[in-house]
Amino acid sequence: MNAVLAVKQYVSKMIEDSGPGMKVLLMDRETTGAVSMVYTQSEILQREVYLFERLDSAHREPMKHLKAICFLRPTKENVEFLIQELRRPKYSTYFIYFSNVISKSDVKALAEADEQEVVAEVQEFYGDYIAVNPHLFSLNLLGCCQGRHWDPAQLARTTQGLTALLLSLKKCPMIRYQLSSEPARRLAECVKQVITKEYELFDFRRTEVPPLLLILDRSDDAITPLLNQWTYQAMVHELLGINNNRIDLSRVPGISKDLREVVLSAENDEFYANNMYLNFAEIGSNIKNLMEDFQRRKPKEQQKLESIADMKAFVENYPQFRKMSGTVSKHVTVVGELSRLVAERNLLEVSEVEQELACQNDHSSALQNVRRLLQNPRVTELDAARLVMLYALHYERHSSNSLPGLLSELRNRGVADRYRKLVSAVVEYGGKRVRGSDLFSPKDAVAITKQFLKGLKGVENVYTQHQPLLHETLDQLIKGKLRDSQFPYLGPNTLRDRPQDIIVFIIGGATYEEALTVYNLNRSTAGVRIVLGGTTIHNTRRKPVTFEPREPRGGAGSCAEGRPSHAPPHLG
Amino acid sequence: MPELDSAGPPCPHPSRPSISRRSPRPLPGCTAAGSPGGESAAAAASPLLDTRTSCPGAPGAAGRCRCRAARARAPSRRGRRAPRCAAESGESAAAMASGCPAPFGEPGEAREGFLCPLCRLDLQAFQQLRQHYEEEHSREERDVRGQLRNLVQKAKRAKKKLLRQEGDDRTDSGSQERYESFSYGGIDPYMWEPQEVGAMRSHLSDFKKHRAARIDHYVVEVNKLIIRLEKLTSFDRANTESAKIRAIEKSVVPWVSDQDVPFCPDCGNKFSIRNRRHHCRLCGSIMCKKCTELVSLPLASKLTSASKEALGSHTSPNSSPNSVHGSRRGSISSISSVSSVLDEKDDDRIRCCRHCKDTLLKREQQIDEKEYTPEIVKLYEKLRLCMEKVDQKAPEYIRMAESLNAGETTYSLEHANDLRVEIQKVYEFIDALSKKILSLGLHEDPQPHPKTLQLQRMIRYSATLFVQEKLLGLMSLPTKDQYEDLKRRRLQLMALEAHGKQEEKQQDLILRSAAAVNGDATQLKKGTVRKCEGWLPTSSASREREIADPLLQQIDNITSFIKQAKAANRIDEVRMLQENLRQLQDEYDQQQTLKAIELSKKQAEEEERQREELQVLREKEWEREHHRFLSQHSRTRSLDFREVGQQQHEVTQNRNLTAHVLDLDITQIKRDPSFETPAVEQLPAEEPLVFALRPQGVPQGDKDREQPACLNPFEDEADTPQSEEDSTNPFAKDTSPVVSFSNTALQSDKKEYNPFENEEEDEQTNGEPGSTTNPFEEDENPSQKPGGSWNSGNPFEEGSSTNPFEVEDGSEISGEEAIEEELLLQQIDNIKAYIFDAKHSGRMDEVEVLTENLKELKRTLAKQKEKSNC
Repeated sequence: MNAVLAVKQYVSKMIEDSGPGMKVLLMDRETTGAVSMVYTQSEILQREVYLFERLDSAHREPMKHLKAICFLRPTKENVEFLIQELRRPKYSTYFIYFSNVISKSDVKALAEADEQEVVAEVQEFYGDYIAVNPHLFSLNLLGCCQGRHWDPAQLARTTQGLTALLLSLKKCPMIRYQLSSEPARRLAECVKQVITKEYELFDFRRTEVPPLLLILDRSDDAITPLLNQWTYQAMVHELLGINNNRIDLSRVPGISKDLREVVLSAENDEFYANNMYLNFAEIGSNIKNLMEDFQRRKPKEQQKLESIADMKAFVENYPQFRKMSGTVSKHVTVVGELSRLVAERNLLEVSEVEQELACQNDHSSALQNVRRLLQNPRVTELDAARLVMLYALHYERHSSNSLPGLLSELRNRGVADRYRKLVSAVVEYGGKRVRGSDLFSPKDAVAITKQFLKGLKGVENVYTQHQPLLHETLDQLIKGKLRDSQFPYLGPNTLRDRPQDIIVFIIGGATYEEALTVYNLNRSTAGVRIVLGGTTIHNTRRKPVTFEPREPRGGAGSCAEGRPSHAPPHLG
Repeated sequence: MPELDSAGPPCPHPSRPSISRRSPRPLPGCTAAGSPGGESAAAAASPLLDTRTSCPGAPGAAGRCRCRAARARAPSRRGRRAPRCAAESGESAAAMASGCPAPFGEPGEAREGFLCPLCRLDLQAFQQLRQHYEEEHSREERDVRGQLRNLVQKAKRAKKKLLRQEGDDRTDSGSQERYESFSYGGIDPYMWEPQEVGAMRSHLSDFKKHRAARIDHYVVEVNKLIIRLEKLTSFDRANTESAKIRAIEKSVVPWVSDQDVPFCPDCGNKFSIRNRRHHCRLCGSIMCKKCTELVSLPLASKLTSASKEALGSHTSPNSSPNSVHGSRRGSISSISSVSSVLDEKDDDRIRCCRHCKDTLLKREQQIDEKEYTPEIVKLYEKLRLCMEKVDQKAPEYIRMAESLNAGETTYSLEHANDLRVEIQKVYEFIDALSKKILSLGLHEDPQPHPKTLQLQRMIRYSATLFVQEKLLGLMSLPTKDQYEDLKRRRLQLMALEAHGKQEEKQQDLILRSAAAVNGDATQLKKGTVRKCEGWLPTSSASREREIADPLLQQIDNITSFIKQAKAANRIDEVRMLQENLRQLQDEYDQQQTLKAIELSKKQAEEEERQREELQVLREKEWEREHHRFLSQHSRTRSLDFREVGQQQHEVTQNRNLTAHVLDLDITQIKRDPSFETPAVEQLPAEEPLVFALRPQGVPQGDKDREQPACLNPFEDEADTPQSEEDSTNPFAKDTSPVVSFSNTALQSDKKEYNPFENEEEDEQTNGEPGSTTNPFEEDENPSQKPGGSWNSGNPFEEGSSTNPFEVEDGSEISGEEAIEEELLLQQIDNIKAYIFDAKHSGRMDEVEVLTENLKELKRTLAKQKEKSNC
């Protein structure tokens, strides 16, 4: 059930199969992302892979002394490129691996192009997704739905990604989906279809309790991606943006040249692995410890480096030292930038109000707080709009709803038009009308008591009160209490036992907050393994900015899928 | 005690040693630790400790595997109250150790894998082991705590040396601890059990089927063209009339009739008087002039002759390139036919269509490739061979070195030395080869394609990574004398083990009340491991044991560190390292002139006197010790007494021996004509320092089965009341008094001989005062860096051993100057490459330093040459 390992094993197998000798790895845009998530350069270099090329790049030179490992999605363009490549081979031997099911006719076309007999292997290795963490994967797809309906191309891609994940983990699951969501049902059907069609592929050893695939829709919980996050990984993504483990720091003021882009990979960075799920305050103190450690070590080395003895002692610790200094400078920079942004944007205060909006039901105080923050000049346009969005979502049907007032305040504040449009788009996307389950008001007596007790005790951390809806859904699922009426099974069979291996897929994208939830559930529930996936991994900040020049999105970046029907479709 | 603060779960999990062996790469350290066959008692005594000593070296991977161990611990802790198997494994390990007092332990004893500590069943995986344990042994009742303590105590004793450095480690481990997160319930996704490779499906057979059909067709096509081409060139075209040529051409392939083709099939232009039809001589088709291609005769002959060779048939004389070439000249003048005015005469080329030409060109390319292996491939193949060699030999060597450093007699020292030199040669070779690959084609006029350059850079980079990783993992060997010393020590250790065990039982009783100490100890141990993470195998582990390094190792280390430093852009460190490298070279020069001079009698006498003084001093200490000892351990008194006596005896022996070693070494270094007399007198001055250190450093560090306190009279004074309780870990406290003692001793000694010390040459002042004081601090003072302890006890040898060439001297006895020259040359090469690197990346300051270094090296080389000429 380890997504990272699954892809990594595929890549390792490819390299192994191609035997000794210098190799070049020939990929397309998407597989490049998939491979770079699981292998580091130095790691792959040690396995004699020295060059990394895009199949579609025109500037490749013939190098007949290299073997080519091609890891490609089986798209039409790739097959066409590959046919061209085989007609005039640039490398001595080709080992071809497709990341998904390829049609027989494509294989034939390739075979006929291979007049020089350079192809030594043609296989399907199902690494057709981006493995972010062992329990988290993404398809890096934006805007997969138009209104309530799938974009057909995106549906196909999502189906491919999801089935590839199932194949790579060797799971042939039972499928449940969210009844209130049409896209969820469609996707469930498509996946089922593929499983039926490729039944030979899905013929795995039966486990006692069959694995379960749960397909959800983002529109059911539009709140979670709108909240500011306070755990390390989530914050970095929210404020700086993680793209295939890479973080672009070039906009950080006064950044040094070699820190323009840093890689945060839990596979190779112990500090990150240990801290990615800790909250900002803890990170702060851990960074402090790390730095203290480093400094304690550093001056000592520098003071004494005079005699051979000192030098030797230094040299002894050197690689450690060097490694540490790399880690230290990276994390100090990242955390420093995070805290700068937090201070600059007044995020603590914003987050407090956000959490209040998400978790409490006190309309008047919420309204007051939102108003107060809208007056604050340090709150960014996006944050302001986001507060209003949260308000709109929560108090959509409240009797004294003053959304129009807030919207006009936004206008007075000079918030850009596209941000203001987002508010109504969000409501349309994830408003009450759409939601299958109730996000805000507790459903049963137990939940009401729980919330009441919580109110009595007070919350220990005002910034992390919010629990994503996913937590409750999964909790019920694990306990076997998830209602069939809301999350029906596809097909006649139902699961009697408590599920063990669970794959959750969220149409419209998962968030790092949910990843954390799943991580914690994995760690705290014995015998249960959960993998979370989404069409993308959300943050609120980046996407609206990214899409600025285009037509305003029909949702905050996080709700990119909830584009109102009047907006023309365009793909990310 | 300070360590108590960082107390943690007293739970050395059974899977710990085995897990570390599961680490992704075969780490030299780990494999060595797990290697079966005649292990040292210390090594065999506790697999737990083994992993600990060897793991610090493991880069990255060790860090990870350790983490896993830490995490894996949690579930088991939850499951049962405490892993009794851990205690048990300690117990059995100790039994194993004590069961083999003879130098040769039973080789079969050391097993590895996922052994159940209770029934010794080999389970295949950690999961299975856990399951097995839970099923089989969970109901058995034990005095877990006691056994645990027992284990912890043993652990401590076996590795007191490490514990003594805990001062520094603790802070590190403490802080590391804080950023470590532990799991508490289910399983961390990072810990999910390994899974098999995902589903896959091959289309190869399908592919081959389709391709075979296609290839048949293609091959027929190509062969047809080649055969026609041969026919077309098989006569003397130059001396044949064009009409005849045309007739022959038409006979080779029927030409398509003109009427059938009104338009050029390729470009679609209408044929007319101006736009004439042309026929492809190879397939007979028609095209316009623009669309024609021409095959030159040399190309034609190349194609035909190649296919003939391939077929093994005879070559027709006419088609050989020479005959064609020879006749071509005359052809131009001889042609004057009218037809050539209109229809351009192409008797030296064969007209054909684009498609045929394409096919022929592809064919040509194939022929070219078959014959041509680029330079880079040849070099690369050699490089890979070298790497394979290293992969083969290095583990063997590490096993040897480990065993030798533990004082075992399984392998011969000479053999190991040879192997070491061999491996190092291979490294040099790898370095040189990869450098050559890097610079391939750089000086050619049309610069190679950027991708080619990138490939070269990548190969170089990966070779550097390889060397860095593996070379640093090569532990050094003890010198002959040290080896003798080690052997003796090992014997002692074995003897002590038996005795120590009894004592432990007694101590156990005391210890039960102080459970926290145990937890602390495990914690500390973990800390050490953690701290060392990322550092390459064995260097730290071996340093702890070894007393001096072969010089070559030094220089190698330094050069590679310089590389790393450079890679990390640490200019000042690079400079510092380079500086030291130069010092070493200087020292080496000097040493060359001073070699092989006898030790003067005066020295010997002086030294003898010193030794006696010290002996007296030591004896007093021993006596005091005994008093205390007797009162403290009345029950095992008689036994202890004997032991101590015996040990003391041995220590004295050791001391004498090392004294000799030292003398020899020192004189070798210091034999400079101008300093002869001062040096002679100065030597004894430092000798006692070494001694003072040895009896304390050695027994504490290595003879740890011995009652720890008995060797240290000072602890008694410092904290007798506490020692009852905390006697498991007296070193945190007792070390500081020792330091002060030895330091005062040192100072008083120093004062006496100060004048001479001042006269030392500057690199000696550099090397020596530092190292004379260092060993005390580093060996005794817990707050020192662990890395510092490399020169435990023998500062002089260490100082000199940084010279890279001593190894050669020692093993090949000064005659082999050729090798030294080679090394120097290599060195110069290296530095040149660094300069190149530095220039490349624009670090001008580095370039300066390096250039300076280069000059220095060249000078050394010149001297060397002079010498060899003499």
